[in-house]
Amino acid sequence: MKTIYLALKYLAILLWTSFVALPFLWALTTSFKTANGVTGGATYIPWLQYKPSLEGWKVLVRTGGQGIDIVGPYISSAIVTLSASFLSLALGTLAAYGLSRFSYRLGFLKNSDITFFFISQRIMPPIVLAIPFFLMLQFLGLLDTIPGLILVYIALLLPIATWVMVDFFNNIPRQVDEMAMIDGCNPIGAFVRVILPNSLPGIAVAGLFCIIFGWNDFFFAFTLTFTKTQLLPVAVVALNSSVTPWWSLSASALVSVAPLVIIAFFVERFLSSGKMAGAIR
Amino acid sequence: MALVLQNIDLREDGIAHLDNVSLEFKRGRLYTILGRTLAGKTTLLRTIAGLQHPQRGSMELHGQDYLDIPVWKRSTAMVYQQFINYPHLSALANVMFPLKRAGMSRDKARRRARAVLAGVGLSGFENRRPGALSGGQQQRVALARALVKRADILLLDEPLVNLDYKLREQLREDFQNIFKGQDDAIVIYTTTEPAEAIQLGHEIIVMDEGRVIQQGNSLDVFNAPTTIRCAEVINDPPMNIFSGTIDKGHINLQGDVRLPLPSHLDQLSEGPYRFGLRAADLSINGEIESEVELSEISGSQTILHLRGGIGSFILYEEGVYQYAIGSTVNVSLNPDRIYGFSVQGDLVAAPAPMSKQWR
Amino acid sequence: MLKLNHKHFFLLPGLIVLVAIIIFPLLFTLRVSFSSWDVVKPGLDWIGGKNYVRLFEDMRFWEALSRLSLMAVGSVLIQYIIGFGLALLVWRDIILKRFVRVLFLVPMMTTPVIMSVIWRTILHESLGPANDIVQVLGFEPLNWLSTGGMAVLSVILVEVWQWTPFMFLLLLAGLLSLPDEPYMAAAIDGAGAFRTFFSVTFPLMAPISVGALLIRLIEASKLMETVYVLTSGGPGTATETSSYYIYIRGLRDYQIGYAASLSLTYLVIMIISLTIIAKVLTYKMARD
Repeated sequence: MKTIYLALKYLAILLWTSFVALPFLWALTTSFKTANGVTGGATYIPWLQYKPSLEGWKVLVRTGGQGIDIVGPYISSAIVTLSASFLSLALGTLAAYGLSRFSYRLGFLKNSDITFFFISQRIMPPIVLAIPFFLMLQFLGLLDTIPGLILVYIALLLPIATWVMVDFFNNIPRQVDEMAMIDGCNPIGAFVRVILPNSLPGIAVAGLFCIIFGWNDFFFAFTLTFTKTQLLPVAVVALNSSVTPWWSLSASALVSVAPLVIIAFFVERFLSSGKMAGAIR
Repeated sequence: MALVLQNIDLREDGIAHLDNVSLEFKRGRLYTILGRTLAGKTTLLRTIAGLQHPQRGSMELHGQDYLDIPVWKRSTAMVYQQFINYPHLSALANVMFPLKRAGMSRDKARRRARAVLAGVGLSGFENRRPGALSGGQQQRVALARALVKRADILLLDEPLVNLDYKLREQLREDFQNIFKGQDDAIVIYTTTEPAEAIQLGHEIIVMDEGRVIQQGNSLDVFNAPTTIRCAEVINDPPMNIFSGTIDKGHINLQGDVRLPLPSHLDQLSEGPYRFGLRAADLSINGEIESEVELSEISGSQTILHLRGGIGSFILYEEGVYQYAIGSTVNVSLNPDRIYGFSVQGDLVAAPAPMSKQWR
Repeated sequence: MLKLNHKHFFLLPGLIVLVAIIIFPLLFTLRVSFSSWDVVKPGLDWIGGKNYVRLFEDMRFWEALSRLSLMAVGSVLIQYIIGFGLALLVWRDIILKRFVRVLFLVPMMTTPVIMSVIWRTILHESLGPANDIVQVLGFEPLNWLSTGGMAVLSVILVEVWQWTPFMFLLLLAGLLSLPDEPYMAAAIDGAGAFRTFFSVTFPLMAPISVGALLIRLIEASKLMETVYVLTSGGPGTATETSSYYIYIRGLRDYQIGYAASLSLTYLVIMIISLTIIAKVLTYKMARD
């Protein structure tokens, strides 16, 4: 009975693991194919079923007008994601600290309402903002530029950063900041000298979330850029046509999601150290 | 030269945390504020530190307005009941923190911080972070950080309450020496424990529901609490209160208990009164029948919670005894230690002050 | 007049930025929705509620909305059931715990559109491995993306692949924080695994389940990118969701005014229905 249960349990785990791994393994094997390995139906095992080639990977770097440029979008994506994450983290950490420590009153709005306003932005479907963002960036002359995208991504990431950090600050005893003030720091000094150094785990979690959401956004990158600026997801999706060879498509997809797989290891680290439970509650 | 508070009112969400509080604190003296939880002790300290702002009243230090000075510019130091330190700094850096904020040079701050850490018994622990110290050591770091500033006002908010018994005794002994070095400061110490207040304080301030209900020399307050409420707060366990009357040279308590009128009460006119008697002034060798509701042992003493014709009360017996809950004991009252209170709860006659044997 | 002090230093920058980036555009959208702004005649004129009358009669919008509800609720429920099952499987110690957990987390971290591109090659009816697998299992090859019903299922399949890990993550965190006592009590009562689950685990997990379901429903109600990559809303309009339809009207046909009215209507419907769902779920939970 016990053995049957264990066998079923590991069978289930194995099945799901295969399902999860399927796209990655498929992309990996496809990325080493040439036309011969694709057009005759699905093949899986290199050397046996097809002759592996590095062609799919080579074309990722554009040389002499040949191939697909994945390096440019990669750099643009990194700049946009990191800048927007940094700015959102800075603004979000400040706002979260304020919301956690002081009481505000804006008209009839109190702290809980303001916090809800920040978090509720996650409900907003991107399409609702797409049209006004489009017109706003057009008005500002920032359409199809990196600064324009950074601005839009802040709207996307600021609620996430604020959400994670409010919860984190609520778990640092108020007396710590009060002590810093009694010891001669003004509120800003108390925040910078005492609270920030003690908030690095929270900032790390919030930062990881920002990077994941920023890196993964396709919608705004797609609707607000045309020719001058191209972010990674847009570049990869642009290959999503019957003309594009699957091998370079697969290679570029793998390169694009590689940083996220690395981040997954960090997230698991936080999960097992119990910090995540606090950050996502 | 003193810190003077006048008519301070502080309300939050409709609850009065401080209700018309007027107090004067003099330099070089130690004040203990005694009161139950939520009596307003912490709020008073936080108001003095500038962390909370009263709706009404004035506060002056050395004749100058103190209320409008922000927290970080006041010369105060504070120790919380929770062991609050800066988790990311070593013990030494924790103690140096306020000095560096005040602009002291690194070397000088380090020397002074080391000396103060040694003074609280933490030599050799300078480089540990608070997380790697025991609760008692953490509180010593917090104390050192408060002492090192040599602030005008040193505030201690129940600093021993979260420590275990042994550490508490030890640190309480140390306090007496430590505070001797703070001659220029006003030291204000809050506690819920009467014994601690009496042992430490030059002067006691008894608080209840946001009001100051009595203040004065600690033994005076102990010997003559002016109200029933004060008598309850300043005794642990709280003083027992019985309703009764005085007539024809006797005290009549509920349940047909009749005692001869002791000499210190004989100037009182006949009529209804309330009578106070400390738990230690009852003993188990009389004829008042009472049922044991609860029996607890504290150190070398037995505390009995009893109920009888005269009401519910607490009895304190030296030595360790076992009593079954529900069993009956016969109790006697010591008439010479009875406090007389008016029906409204004001002290009208107190027994002679106790000699120093009480501790 | 607002008295500025230290506390405003913290909140105001973030708040101002958020209001500037979200509220003003939203108000502007509201104004635009009362105009006939399109590719022929861009600009703000005033046509009253004509756009709203038009959308009321626009069956394609309402069909997209009901299709979205079906796909969102369907995929979220499947994610919840599988995610809960997986969390229960790895809750107690298993071999290769770390590796399995990281692997289970990876899909939700990876870029949805990019993984959808890969999925599109997998589901390719003659060149992808999906039909190979189906045939190995002894079934006929399927028209994954070329018939309406299958296309909807394919979108749900990819959504389940992508987002089950999120359910798994939250539910596992919930399971790990459960107290031991109820389980001892259940063991003493001699409750079997099945009864223990339904009388102890499931009720204790109700709050975090409601939270996880709501977060996923909110995210799923924006469903568009997977559809865009896998089927472009097709075949026909078989997989067209609200967001995708608004995208077509607004940013492809450039009927800005009409798209603005569509998107505001969509937003309001989403907020109302998600609020009702939240109330119903928390009410149910409070009663249990």
